[in-house]
Amino acid sequence: MDVLDLARTQFAVTGSLHFLFVVLTLGLAPLIAIMHTRYAVTGRPVHERATRFWGQIYVINYALGILTGLVMEFQFGMNWSGLSHYAGDIFGAPLAIETLGAFFLESTFLGLWIFGWHRLPKWLHVACIWVVTLTAYVSAFWIMAANSFLQNPAGAVERDGHLVLTDFGALLTNPTLTMALPHVLGAGLWTGGFVMMGASAYQLFRRTAEKEFFTSSLRTGVITSMIGSLITVGFGFAQFSVIGDVQPGKFDGGGLAGVGLGFMILIGELLNILLVLVLVPTVYWLPRWRRMHPLLMAITPLPFVAAILGWLARESGRQPWMINGKLTVADAMSPGLTSGMVTVSLIAFGGVLALLAVIDYVLIARTVRRGPAAVTLGADAPADPPERAHALSH
Amino acid sequence: MDILWLGVFALLLIGYFALEGFDIGVGMLLPVLGRTRKDRDGIVAAMAPFVLANEVWLVAVAGVLFGVFPSIEGDVLFGLYPLVVSLLVSWIVRDAGLWFRRRADGSAWRATWDWAIVVGSYGLALSWGMALVAVAGGLTGSAISLPGLAGGLVVAALLAFHGWTFLAWRLAGQVTRARRTGRAFLLSACAAAAPVTVLLAVLAPWLLDRTAPAGTLSVLSVMILPFAPVMVGGQVWVWRTFGPGRAAFDRVPSFF
Repeated sequence: MDVLDLARTQFAVTGSLHFLFVVLTLGLAPLIAIMHTRYAVTGRPVHERATRFWGQIYVINYALGILTGLVMEFQFGMNWSGLSHYAGDIFGAPLAIETLGAFFLESTFLGLWIFGWHRLPKWLHVACIWVVTLTAYVSAFWIMAANSFLQNPAGAVERDGHLVLTDFGALLTNPTLTMALPHVLGAGLWTGGFVMMGASAYQLFRRTAEKEFFTSSLRTGVITSMIGSLITVGFGFAQFSVIGDVQPGKFDGGGLAGVGLGFMILIGELLNILLVLVLVPTVYWLPRWRRMHPLLMAITPLPFVAAILGWLARESGRQPWMINGKLTVADAMSPGLTSGMVTVSLIAFGGVLALLAVIDYVLIARTVRRGPAAVTLGADAPADPPERAHALSH
Repeated sequence: MDILWLGVFALLLIGYFALEGFDIGVGMLLPVLGRTRKDRDGIVAAMAPFVLANEVWLVAVAGVLFGVFPSIEGDVLFGLYPLVVSLLVSWIVRDAGLWFRRRADGSAWRATWDWAIVVGSYGLALSWGMALVAVAGGLTGSAISLPGLAGGLVVAALLAFHGWTFLAWRLAGQVTRARRTGRAFLLSACAAAAPVTVLLAVLAPWLLDRTAPAGTLSVLSVMILPFAPVMVGGQVWVWRTFGPGRAAFDRVPSFF
């Protein structure tokens, strides 16, 4: 592999890892905000338990979303400085707005939400998770705006060898953004719904003591997936006419883009048919059909696979361009970058993040297996003085 | 406009050292001050509610570097390549330690992630010191050098002092066996941010010549400045909620 292939591999590996966690964050955040709101409105313990159980899965997943995201933000400058030299005056803007106007708030308020249990007033605590949800979606908007600029550099003209911003509105109404953003957000809901469905099926299959809890969440998961899948598939097909206009031939040939797209559509269509024809019509009885539960567990990872295939199609279909028709990936690479530098950083980032990703999924599985009674997020102070509680536990 | 955005950039970078600096310092001191598991839990719990609100200042620094100084963003990060790799890996390892340490029981599990916090914190401090020296030298020589290593040790010492002062203030009379006032904590924040403040003051004219065009800065101002009150409000709220006046809540088990 030459240095360009290595740098592209690094971006693909870290980007794919990042999105595996982001897609679930996007799907679970609104569900948890709704659960927490229901708890605040009704005061019923069942909603508090749901908020804390799914909330703990959400924050464990979120940890890797942050860690992989750090590498994403910095590797533009490390490996692709040609991009900021040529188009930084435009491409940098959505990324700067994302970090300050969205992620800064998301991280601050997530900290308040996680550590604010039993400390913050009820409604302010609920407001925190809504700020986190809203800013996660705003983040998705700006990142997709930046990516869409690479697919179709709208709102910019070339002057003196680099791109200048002429129309900020065109950047925000880029047709490769307006159709792709709902597609991505729908995929998030689909993934979040599937995780909820799969985890509930696992507990019900094991004849859980929390039958009522997981019966309800299995139904929520199926309905959420249905909504997500309709949005994803609808806005997926809606993108073809846009791509035909601005990136004709993107998926032609047998390359990664075409293959990725083909398998993504295959997964999406099969799951969509399964949801529409089987899972949604039987959603009332589904929690009791143990024979169906292994199938529900088995298909849980598929939206993650489809999401990565979708990104591979979108990104590799742009080759050899970094900015479609303007700047090639070869020209965007940092001058002076060597194979040694990228190899070391690829092994360091890829190795550490892949290991942590595996540990993170094991911890999520452990949280699912141990059920709502063992959740530590938002756990209350022990009722007894610590010494006595300690003595009693022996 | 360019002066405003240079000011925002400087504020974020200085704020990162003043705030995240004590988290890094606390991480470095964890094996020294936390002799027992209970002490280590208490130390991590003291800083835990601040970490997410503190570390995000550096994410914002990188975003502003890209948006406001696109012509130097690549040069600086590429010029510091090995240090950026070690900084990011250290940051990732430190954060993984925080997120994971309480996710399972067992002393081996807890010890592993406590060491991740320690190693990651040292890596962060040393990488930062070396990076500041390399930038001060104009990114001409090798990113890793003997003066750089000395700079790393100075920054590590300053952050450790800041972390120690935080613990003496937040957990007065406990693990440090000392008590420090909020004013002493402010002074240690100034000490932690001093090297980067000097560097920014020296580089200010050079940075001012390299801002993005006025059109880009106008867009950033319109899109970001309206959120500034919420950003400041969120930060203030974190300190009001988790500051030392709230010790009555410390019996609630920490998530980190």
